[in-house]
Amino acid sequence: MAAFIARRLLLLPLVAFGVTLLIFALLQFLSPAERAGLFVTDPRQLSQIGSIIRKYGLDKPVHVQYWNWLKQLARGDLGWSQTARMPTAQAIASFFPATFELTFYMFVPIILIGIWLGTQAAVHKDRFVDHFSRFFAISLRGLPSFVWGLIVLMAFYGWLGWFPPGRLSLDAEFFVKSAQFHTYTRLMTVDALLNAQWWIFLDALRHIAGPALTLVLVEMALLVRITRSSMLEVLRQDYVRTARAKGLDEPVVIRRHARRNALIPVITLSSLLFVGLLGGVVLAETIFNFPGIGKWGAEAAVQLDIPGVTGFAMFIAFVTVLGNLAADVLYATVDPRIRLQ
Amino acid sequence: MNLKRQLLVLLVFTLAIALVGIPGSAQGQQPVKNPDTLIIQTIGDPESLDPSWAYDTASSAVFLWNIYETLIFFNGGRTDQYVPMLATEVPTVANGGISKDGRTYTFKVRQGVKFHDGSTMSADDVKYSLMRFMMMDRDGGPSWILLAPILGFENQATRDDSGKLIPTIWDQVNRAIQVKGNTVSITLKRPYGPFLNILGQWSMVVSKRFVVQNGGWNGTRGTLAKYNNPEKPDVQELFTKASGTGPFKLESWDRATGTVSLVRNDAYWRAPAKLRRFVVQKVEEFGPRRLALQNGDADIISVSRADQPAVTGIPGVRIVDDLAELVNSPAIFMNLNVVTEGNPDIGSGRLDGNGVPPNFFADVHVRRAFAHLFDRDRWIREAARGKGRVANGPIPVGMLGYNPKGKWYEVSTERAIAEFKEAHGGQVWERGFKFSILFNTGNVGRQTAAQMIKEAAEALNPKFKIDVRSVTWSSYLGLMNSKKLPMFLVGWAADYADPDNFVVPFMHSTGTFTGRQGYKNAEVDKLIEQAALETDTKKREAIYFRLQEIAFQDVPTIYIYYLVNFVVMRSWVKGWYHNPIFFEPYQHAYRFFKG
Repeated sequence: MAAFIARRLLLLPLVAFGVTLLIFALLQFLSPAERAGLFVTDPRQLSQIGSIIRKYGLDKPVHVQYWNWLKQLARGDLGWSQTARMPTAQAIASFFPATFELTFYMFVPIILIGIWLGTQAAVHKDRFVDHFSRFFAISLRGLPSFVWGLIVLMAFYGWLGWFPPGRLSLDAEFFVKSAQFHTYTRLMTVDALLNAQWWIFLDALRHIAGPALTLVLVEMALLVRITRSSMLEVLRQDYVRTARAKGLDEPVVIRRHARRNALIPVITLSSLLFVGLLGGVVLAETIFNFPGIGKWGAEAAVQLDIPGVTGFAMFIAFVTVLGNLAADVLYATVDPRIRLQ
Repeated sequence: MNLKRQLLVLLVFTLAIALVGIPGSAQGQQPVKNPDTLIIQTIGDPESLDPSWAYDTASSAVFLWNIYETLIFFNGGRTDQYVPMLATEVPTVANGGISKDGRTYTFKVRQGVKFHDGSTMSADDVKYSLMRFMMMDRDGGPSWILLAPILGFENQATRDDSGKLIPTIWDQVNRAIQVKGNTVSITLKRPYGPFLNILGQWSMVVSKRFVVQNGGWNGTRGTLAKYNNPEKPDVQELFTKASGTGPFKLESWDRATGTVSLVRNDAYWRAPAKLRRFVVQKVEEFGPRRLALQNGDADIISVSRADQPAVTGIPGVRIVDDLAELVNSPAIFMNLNVVTEGNPDIGSGRLDGNGVPPNFFADVHVRRAFAHLFDRDRWIREAARGKGRVANGPIPVGMLGYNPKGKWYEVSTERAIAEFKEAHGGQVWERGFKFSILFNTGNVGRQTAAQMIKEAAEALNPKFKIDVRSVTWSSYLGLMNSKKLPMFLVGWAADYADPDNFVVPFMHSTGTFTGRQGYKNAEVDKLIEQAALETDTKKREAIYFRLQEIAFQDVPTIYIYYLVNFVVMRSWVKGWYHNPIFFEPYQHAYRFFKG
C-alpha cells in the first residue's frame, strides 16, 4: 500500500507540469495585447499597452515565458494574481480554507442524509419513502444550482434574514481581525471554537448554511439514487437471504450485511463528489459572495489573470489526484478483496 | 407540460416576483441599522490604496477625499469652482497665487494639520507627495496627469521609449516645484488652463515620514531608480497602509473578502466626521446586493441602469436620478485604416461584397451614411431606459466648450442611401460589404448599438452584411489596440473636468482613441493645442465650438449620448451630495451620517 501511495504521489509533479504547460500553450492563441488587457482596467490606459507588454514580457516566445515562470516557481513564487490583489500562493492559502470548510459542511450532510435516504428507499421499495426520495432526487437535480442558490438566498436571507451572504457578518469580521482573536487554521468555525467564541462559530455557520443548503439539495440527489440501486442489488443477494433465514433482526441484516456491501460504489461517488464540490462551489460562492477559491478561480479565468489561472489549475489538479488516491485507499479498507498494487 | 416543467416554471416565477420586490411589508419603518457605520456594497474592489499606483475608480473612490486630501477641492456640485482644502486659499491671478504669465501657481499650506500617523503636515510633505505621484510612474498608471502639464505635453512619462529612466527627470520636476517657508509653488512649462482642476483631484498629500518609515522612497534623486515603475502593487509601501490628513483613517483592507474599512479620524483638522466607520464591500452579484439594501445591511449599493426597476419601490430606499457625469460613453469609432493581417473581422479585405478594404471608412461618405443610420434616441430608450442626452461631439454637456446648438446627422434612410451611393465611387452600393462589429461580453449598451447598426444597414441593401460578435474585455482592448477592429464602441470618463481631457483622446491624432482609428486632421491637432494654452474662456470656447463642427463634418466617430447616473441608498443616509467629478457616490463621506 505504501508503495502504491508513493507512486501516486510521484505523479503529482507530472500532472502539474502537464496542466501548466497546457495553460501556457492555450494562452498563445491570444495576442500579447489581449493578454495585457488584464492590466488595463480602463480605456484611459490604452496608450500604455506597449509598455505593459514589455514590462511583463508578454511578447516573448511561449517557451521563454514558461521557462521564466518555472524559474519563478523554483523560488516558490507563483506570481502576482491581479484578480486576488495578492500573490497567487497567498491567494490559494487564503481562499482554499474557506472553500474547504464550506465543502466539509456540505459533504457531511450529503453523505449522511443521502445514504440514509437511499437505504430507506431501497428497503421500502415502491412505497411512499421510495417515491418521495426519487421524486425529490429528480426534481432537485433537474434545477441548475444557481436557480436553487437564488431561491435559497431569497428565502433565507431576503425573507427570513437567517442566512446572510458573505463569510462573516461585519461585527464578527472586525472581531476576528482584532488582537482578541487568534487565527490557527483559517477554518472559521474551527478557529472560533479554539478561541472559545461561540458567537463567531454560530455566525460562521449562519453564513455557510446558505451555500451549503443549495448544494446539499442538488448534490444529494445522485447519492440517494446510487445508494438505492446499489442496495436493491445487494438485497437480492443470497447472503442476505441466508442472513434473514438465520433469523437475524431485520435492522442488523440491513446495516451489517447489506449496506456495508452496497457502499462500494457510494465511496467512489463520494470521493469524486468531494473533489467535485471543491470545484463546483463556484456558483454557490458567487451567489452568496462567499470568499472561496472557486469564485476567485472563475474571476481569474474570465479576466485572463495568467498567474492566477495557472496556480488555480495546478492546485485543483493536486486536489483531484489526492482525492482519487484517498478513494483508492478507502476501497481497500472497506473491501478486503481489493488489493492495491 | 410535465410535472418537472411545471415546477420549474413555478419556481422561476416565484423568483422573478421576489427579485422585483416584496410588497406590503413594514420594512419602511425599520429602525436605522448600524447607526454610526456607513456600509457600501459595490461591484469592484480597489487595485491598490497607493495614490501613485491607483488609476481605477474603485481605488480612488475609497481614498480620495476620505483618507487623502488635496490642496484645493471642488465647491459643492461645481466642477469649475474651488474651495481651499490643504491650501489656505485658492490661487488666482488677483491674489497673486497665479503668476501673470500663467505658469506659476503658489499655494500657502495650511498649518497645524496632522497626518494619521501623528506627524504634522508641512510644505515639504506637499512637494514630496506631488513628486512621488509623478516619479513612481508605473506602466499604465496615473503619473502622466501631473507630469504632462508640468513638464509639457511632450513629456508623458519618466522613462524613454526603451523603458530607461530619463536621467534629468528628477531635476526637472524638483526644479518645477519649489518650497519657501510654508508655501509651495509649481511652475509649468507652458500655461495650462485646466491645471487647477487637475490639482483639485490629483494633489493628494501623503505623509513623507510615514512612507519613508515603511521603506518607501525618501525623495532623493539617487534612490529613485529603485522605486520607479514598481512591478507589482504590493512592493509599494502604501499598497495596504495609509497616512493621510482626511476625515477617515484606513482601518483594514481585507483582500480575501474585498472589504475596505475606514474609521473616523478624531484628530481631523476640521470637525470630525459624524460616521464612526465607513465600510466598502465587494459584492459582485446584484441579487445579494439588492437584498442587503432591502434588509438594511447595506446603505448604498451599485446598481446598473438595467437593474433599476428591481430597486424601485422598496420601502425605505431612496433613488436619486438624473445626475450629470463627465462621461462620453459609448461612442462608435470607425477605423480609417484597418490592420488586415490575420483579421477575420473585415472578411475578404476587399470591396467584393464579402469584406471591406482597410480604407473602407476613410471615405467620409461611408461614415456619414452610418451617422444617418444610427438612431440615437432609440438607443437611449432601449439601452439607457430613456435617461441621458444625445451627444454632438466629444465634450459632455455642462462642460466649457459644449455647444448646445452643435449640429448632428438626422436619422434618414434616404440620406444614408445617398451617401452610400457616393462612397468609393458607387462601388459600396453596387457590390455591398461585410464586416464585424465586436463588443465586450456583458456590455448590453454596446451590444444594443452594434445590433442596431446591423439591422439598419442590412435593411438598406441585401448586399450589406454586418456580423455582431462578443469577446472578453481583455480581447476587446487588445484588438482595438492592434487597430484590427473596423468599428468599435468605447468611451471615456474624465481624468479632470476640462474639455482638453476629452478632445485629446477623441480627436487629436495622437489621442487614445484617434490613434487606434487612424484619424488625423492637421487643423484639429492645431486647434486642440491652441485651446490648451488659451486662458481666455471665451476664446477657448470658440475653439471648442469649431472642433465640434469638424467632429460633425468629418464624423470619424458617431457620438451617442452623455450619460446621466443615479444613486440608490437607504433613506436614512443623510449628507449625500453629487459632484460630476466624483467616481462613486461615497467619494466624500465626510458629510455623511445616518438618521
